[in-house]
Amino acid sequence: MEDRLILSKEHLKSFLRKISKRHELIAPVKNSSGDTLLEAIPSLDEVTLDLKSKPVMPAKNFFLPRSEVLFKYQRKGKQYSFDEVLDDTPRILFGLRSCDLWGILFLDMIFQENFKDRYYLNRRINTVLINIGCNEPMENCFCRSTKSGPFLTHGYDLQLTDLGDKFFVEIGRPRGRELVEEWNYFFSPATKKDREHQYEMILEAESRFHQIVDMNTAISRFMNDEIDERIWDELGNRCQNCGGCAYVCPTCYCFNIVDMPLSENAGERKRIHDSCTFTGFTRLAGGYNPRHEKKRRIRRRFYHKLYYENKKHRRPSCVGCGRCVEICFGRVDMINFIKMVCERGERSLRESSLRLGEILIEAGLLNREELKNALERQASTGESLGTQLIKEGLITREGVARALGYQLKIPENAGTGGSDGK
Amino acid sequence: MHRVLTTCCFCACGCNLYLEVDDGKLVGVIPSREHPVSRGNLCIKGWNSFEFVLHKDRLRFPLIRKNGRLEKAQWSEALDLTAAKLTQIKDKYGPDALGILSSAKCTNEENYLLMKFARAVLKTNNVDHCARLCHSSSVIGLNHAFGSGAMTNSITELAGAELILVTGSNTTEQHPQIARFIFDALERGAKLIVIDPRRIQLSRFAHVYLQPRLGTDVIWLKGMMKIIFEEKLYDDSFIRMRTENFDAFSKDLENFDLEYVEKVCGIPLEGLRRAARLYASVKRAMIIYSMGITQHISGTDNVESIANLAMLTGHVEQEFTGVGPLRGQNNVQGACDMGALPGTLSGYQDVADNDVRKKFKNLWKTELPASPGLTSIEMFDGKRIHGMFIMGENPAMSHPDINKIRAVLKEMEFLVVSDIFLTETAEYADVVLPAASFAEKDGTFTSTERRIQRVRMAIPPVGSSRPDWQIVCELSKRMNYPMEYDSPAEIMEEIALLTPIYGGVFYNRLEDEWGLFWPCPDKEHPGTPFLHKGSFARGKGHFECIDYRPPAELPDSEYPFYLTTGRMYQHWLTGSMSMRIITLVREMPEGIVEINPADAKSLGVESGEPVRVISRRGTVKVKAHITDDVPKKSVFMPFHFKETPANILTSTAFDPRAKIPEFKVCAVRIEKVQ
Repeated sequence: MEDRLILSKEHLKSFLRKISKRHELIAPVKNSSGDTLLEAIPSLDEVTLDLKSKPVMPAKNFFLPRSEVLFKYQRKGKQYSFDEVLDDTPRILFGLRSCDLWGILFLDMIFQENFKDRYYLNRRINTVLINIGCNEPMENCFCRSTKSGPFLTHGYDLQLTDLGDKFFVEIGRPRGRELVEEWNYFFSPATKKDREHQYEMILEAESRFHQIVDMNTAISRFMNDEIDERIWDELGNRCQNCGGCAYVCPTCYCFNIVDMPLSENAGERKRIHDSCTFTGFTRLAGGYNPRHEKKRRIRRRFYHKLYYENKKHRRPSCVGCGRCVEICFGRVDMINFIKMVCERGERSLRESSLRLGEILIEAGLLNREELKNALERQASTGESLGTQLIKEGLITREGVARALGYQLKIPENAGTGGSDGK
Repeated sequence: MHRVLTTCCFCACGCNLYLEVDDGKLVGVIPSREHPVSRGNLCIKGWNSFEFVLHKDRLRFPLIRKNGRLEKAQWSEALDLTAAKLTQIKDKYGPDALGILSSAKCTNEENYLLMKFARAVLKTNNVDHCARLCHSSSVIGLNHAFGSGAMTNSITELAGAELILVTGSNTTEQHPQIARFIFDALERGAKLIVIDPRRIQLSRFAHVYLQPRLGTDVIWLKGMMKIIFEEKLYDDSFIRMRTENFDAFSKDLENFDLEYVEKVCGIPLEGLRRAARLYASVKRAMIIYSMGITQHISGTDNVESIANLAMLTGHVEQEFTGVGPLRGQNNVQGACDMGALPGTLSGYQDVADNDVRKKFKNLWKTELPASPGLTSIEMFDGKRIHGMFIMGENPAMSHPDINKIRAVLKEMEFLVVSDIFLTETAEYADVVLPAASFAEKDGTFTSTERRIQRVRMAIPPVGSSRPDWQIVCELSKRMNYPMEYDSPAEIMEEIALLTPIYGGVFYNRLEDEWGLFWPCPDKEHPGTPFLHKGSFARGKGHFECIDYRPPAELPDSEYPFYLTTGRMYQHWLTGSMSMRIITLVREMPEGIVEINPADAKSLGVESGEPVRVISRRGTVKVKAHITDDVPKKSVFMPFHFKETPANILTSTAFDPRAKIPEFKVCAVRIEKVQ
């Protein structure tokens, strides 16, 4: 079977009906109130599929539910018995947005890298993922900037493109191929014209974004430690601690584990979604909280999304879905943050260079002339002053460290690790 | 899994959310994105609102006190006993020996039925609810000034205001969705004035922030009006065409000395001048206020002063322009609308008015008592009430001076409580009836913007619990006044018949367009997002001359600190629900007292150390939280926590007109615990 096929629109429901016989079919449905939610579909004739807008919640919740029972326990006398709850319902998630599918690929990495999370993986291996590329990005979408949409090149089982009267279907992973092969009579091979049409759709979609954010610059600001500290104060003031940004994020995977007694002798162990912006998230048993201030927690959140994940997995864990942008009470969202970082970084780079220059002059490691020349060169390289001076051999790494340590009253033998990895 | 759209059970923003149901259990919450207030997000409470519903502490069967202990009972037994006891007390002492507390947590239909039960079955007007404790002064004050006691505008209009004055409302914590519209307005270049004794989050965004002493609101409001008057910034034509009593009012302003502003409120006059000029100079200004204004012995005065200020500048009667008392609870607006008040039947129809009573009598087919009943505060004087039915309220935590309240509850001849948990109040009951939560019943809530919205059943009632409307029907039947309703929709049909402001409210109309704003007098009426268009509900707006009265209890040498009480973002009222939600408990596990760093230093207290807070009424040992969000010589305590109940300390002094207690000011002493 070819990798590129055509499914006519009038066959869509028939195809879905067939594949939903052995799977629970989950698809985006616009309800009578106008909200689009990913819903389990008992009968295709009773719902309005919405293949154009982004569901309120990401697909994450089908693998890492908002709350889930891990096991039930019961006590008889001194004996405990346990009953593990594993969900192995076969599912097809149909009509996912590319950003949401990309989010699941990210979670796949997280839930099996150090520890294979059975609850997650059990659901995952029983699920087929079918996305539909976005011809028309929504108001706050910026997946083009995060390279996780509007169309994917891999990772899907099947990917659909809406060509007007028909869908262009791309086969990705084997499970997609199996489905198509089993129900091959719905499909016909795509012609050269279809391929060209699809390619045009991709190009057009990419030109239609309302939001373009400079993810690369933001990440490099993190790398070079050039984030203007005042940004955290501002965001901290505006955050209202609702936790919404984590709840709606396709890649936020933090959870809390709690035991919920149901009676004297029985109960459940559950895990529930958590958010790093909550005070209780980092508070230690003794009451001390390393991130007591809201701005520290927000700082941690953005560091995690854009810096630590990037360091560890070579990609930020933002998929550009724009949900946090839509919902934030105080505009403490990804787009606003990146804009703030990019706009202020320039100034802050200059300011921090001047500050370092003064410190080095005071320590006798540099003279004013050398500083002036270095700053001029820096304007073209864009590197931090310290890095540049070291590269140019004007000073040594130890020299910079000692001068800074003296200035900031850090003992010379102090550790360099911090809670934020700085 | 399926989802059921409903209205949030916490504050009065009226967010709509989907409860996620899997295998008969609530497993999550999804905010509605299309809903004009939720806009795809909820506060921390809303996001976690599914969790308490199936908590193991839920009351699953009725309880009857036997030999001093509450023991499991059958419904028939509990209802028979309740009906018999209420009848017995009514026969022995007369109907006015009975008191009913309705509930701002329950639906409109339930509040309507319970007030009908009080009046038609028990024959008493002794029915009230916790609006007494939060906005009774708004209902009276705004009614007096404008002719309607509710928010004049809808929430979404805030985003279009040019200026917003926030006073006595910690909006980001207590009405986060409303704060979101304030942020939207700021983005569009609106100005913000914050006037609050506590340095709240919004104050950091304010163009003018003033920190007056507690309980001095009449002075700064009058000062602001005097400045506007002197500088001729008032709206002359509006005053002439739309208001009355301005001559007397302007003379009163002329006699007011601006020196008082600095002397009494402790705020710089220049700051107030800036605020006054800003407020008066724009076209579209909104005033947002809440309990910091209402919970004083001068609560009604404060509210009327705010109304005066709005009328003086013509800042009412238009879109994006008005006065917004932010109601605290999911259905406190509705409970008032339904007449769960001692002086009014549903729709604020005066119970003393013969024509009104006649209308109700014709439909209810029974005589109704004419003289207004006792308020929720007066019911606990320990003298007049011998039997009580309390639906979903917790006065043993929420009322001032709770030691006294608890003593009265203990001595009560017969107390029946219906609730979802065994609250501190229910512990004193003779009969406890297990009620269904918001997720287990149908009905409507009316949010702070007067938006009437559906509440929908997501799961069947937990255990053998029942919705309160069914409980009231069962009791009524046993007291020879059968109430037969198949559904809350049928109750609403009766409400519409009797209540002009709800005249066009029918369930089929509530399915689309996110509910209806009252007044909605008939089936064709589209509802009213903003009030007083063209003319005030009472005809002409009324200027009231107001003199300052200081709080009833001021600090002295023995009790040198002001104590003010309120709520925290993470918790909800008396904690019966929020203290059973894991994420919320983790955010804020226990009570605190906020103390200014300077005071903490002189007391020798570090953050996290326990202190004793002592008032004339009692002592609470609680952890100190040191913050300069509170001014010197003032401390703040939330009242959510049963281990550290702030209301042991609060004063029972109340506003003579609204009977609202002065929760916001009393005097205390702080002692370090050695």
